[in-house]
Amino acid sequence: MTTLTVYDPAMCCSTGICGPDIDPHLVQFAADLDWLAERGVEVKRINLSQEPVLFAENESVKAVLEKSGVEGLPVIMLGDTLQTSGQYPVREKLAKMTGVEFKAGATETASTSCCGGDAAESEKVSSSCC
Amino acid sequence: MFTDLPKFVFFTGKGGVGKTSLACATTLSLADAGKKVLLVSTDPASNVGQVFETEIGNKITPITKVTGLDAIEINPEEAAAKYRDRIVGPMRGILPEDALRSIEEQLSGACTTEIAAFDEFTALLTDNDLVERYDHVVFDTAPTGHTIRMLKLPGAWSGFLEAGKGDASCLGPLAGLEKQRDRYAAAVDRLSDGATTRLVLVARPRHSALSEVARTSKELAAIGIKNQQLAINGMMPQETGGDALSAALLQRDKDALAGMTSQVAALPRAIFALRAENLVGIGALKRFAAGAPDLISTEPDQTTVHEDFPTLGGLVDDIEQPGKGLVMFMGKGGVGKTTMAAAVAVELAARGHEVLLTTTDPAAHITETLAGDVAGLTVSRIDPVEVTAQYHQHVMATKGKNLDAQGRAMLEEDLRSPCTEEIAVFQAFSRVIRESTKHFVIMDTAPTGHTLLLLDATGSYHRDILRHSDGKQRTRMVTPMMRLQDPEQTKMVIVTLPETTPVLEAAHLQDDLQRAGIAPWGWIINSSLAAAHTTQPLLRQRARSEHQQIDKVRNELCQRYAVVPMQAAEPVGVEKLKSLCVVAKSSVAA
Repeated sequence: MTTLTVYDPAMCCSTGICGPDIDPHLVQFAADLDWLAERGVEVKRINLSQEPVLFAENESVKAVLEKSGVEGLPVIMLGDTLQTSGQYPVREKLAKMTGVEFKAGATETASTSCCGGDAAESEKVSSSCC
Repeated sequence: MFTDLPKFVFFTGKGGVGKTSLACATTLSLADAGKKVLLVSTDPASNVGQVFETEIGNKITPITKVTGLDAIEINPEEAAAKYRDRIVGPMRGILPEDALRSIEEQLSGACTTEIAAFDEFTALLTDNDLVERYDHVVFDTAPTGHTIRMLKLPGAWSGFLEAGKGDASCLGPLAGLEKQRDRYAAAVDRLSDGATTRLVLVARPRHSALSEVARTSKELAAIGIKNQQLAINGMMPQETGGDALSAALLQRDKDALAGMTSQVAALPRAIFALRAENLVGIGALKRFAAGAPDLISTEPDQTTVHEDFPTLGGLVDDIEQPGKGLVMFMGKGGVGKTTMAAAVAVELAARGHEVLLTTTDPAAHITETLAGDVAGLTVSRIDPVEVTAQYHQHVMATKGKNLDAQGRAMLEEDLRSPCTEEIAVFQAFSRVIRESTKHFVIMDTAPTGHTLLLLDATGSYHRDILRHSDGKQRTRMVTPMMRLQDPEQTKMVIVTLPETTPVLEAAHLQDDLQRAGIAPWGWIINSSLAAAHTTQPLLRQRARSEHQQIDKVRNELCQRYAVVPMQAAEPVGVEKLKSLCVVAKSSVAA
């Protein structure tokens, strides 16, 4: 089985748990990865602020960083192949990437706000903490 | 000093309460009693070298003038910087600049510093060959309950971290040190062993400080650190010499002790009197350790203690100029932010302005009587405990719902981190920030620069707005971060006390804000004896020693400052608060 590797932006934790902003995308993404793992996909997450050397060692990831900077994160790799960059894919997309069967209607969404305003709708999210 | 001390002694307490002085005096009296002692200082402002008249630094150094005493100074800021370098250094020139910056910011929080210091001193604590050589090892600081609990959680070091179920965010800075897990476990065991370790809780004899001790004591007892002792430092001496201020301060101290919770009152207790002399040099330390009277200068008072310091009223003159705006007060707990914010708000309202005062004052008694009493003043209160609980619930309901029991335990612990309250309170506050475009908004708290940068870098708000708007919209768009960075709209005021450690801590807060592109507008030095009226020789000597810190603030740290005199009693009510703005001058006349 090929490994799905997620190169996360700099953050203390892969769920953005104690981040200043409660980010539903990250929570959902963590749950989606869990779902994949339960279906036999080997999943690995790497955090820029903890293991930057792995970012530098991977040519594809390094190229994304050089081109788009941290905006290009997260990078999702399946084996040696770059799948997506700059966004956390939804469960359906992840299932497709890894060849796992997916039935629609199983995911939930939520909305959040931060800094006193409504968060803009965007797939590109990240979170971090102390 | 203290009796029946076990092998390991830790001093804990807020910055500026005298942990290092007590630790130095303790090691000195142990060494005098023929013991072999190691003193470990992790105070960023460590003056242990100066105290013992020996160059020390980050290596175990014999104190030549004290037989049997060795010391080492660990600078936690340097330890954190070293840790950042270890992670980021090898990536320089390989990863792009913005990636490096984002890593560095993640590793610039208070928790990284604490963890880095913990990492350094566990190396000493668990080095059996080393500790065998000493009868006592004395630390002038201790890890917080939060850190110890993080390390004790069974899941913290398991494969859980890689399972993608959610990791312990506050362990983030530790991840690079994971190889040391056995060492941390051993250190935590040693800390919780009452037969070998005692924790000395150091506090000033103040009501708020002792309530905090009560919380800390309970928290530490809950995680198994039960060998605790209370040290009250800086008690006003009985001899007030007919001086009104001294008598009032003595009464305040006595009231605070009388009001201790039964749990704190039950701890073994040592009380140390307020000293006139700085505890520098072995002679001064010995007098302190022996409880001997200290040396009060008997020379005629050459310097004028009262100076014409700039007053709070002077700051209000400048704040008033634009007729509106946001003023935020920031500083460590216990420096008087709430009182300063209330005084400025009352004064602005008295001058005919519309003012909204938002406060986190938990007792609420300072601001209780204000609303309605002053025309134009509205008071809104944010209860930090309540908003933090709401935030907690929200996180558990959203992030916690997909986690297993272990994951939920770790999430719960993350939510006990000190930054959670800061974030929750700031979110509550930020709802009123936009009011400041119409009138004055005065807040008695502010987020740190680190939190602001993370809020901004996580970008969900600030950057997405900019990205999703066209050029024309963009020029009109104002995000909360931009509002805080704009000196026309926001004035950040740093509050501190005229003592070494509080001034150093305030300077760190200022550096942190500057990193977030915010230049603090002014400083307030609160509770100054130099600006108060006193005839008591001890207080006059302490007043004179304040000048060094006041000069440092004036000359090196800010453009604009005010000095607020030590108050005999907490200023409650409109008149008392208004008098803070003018009192420096009137007391000179007294």
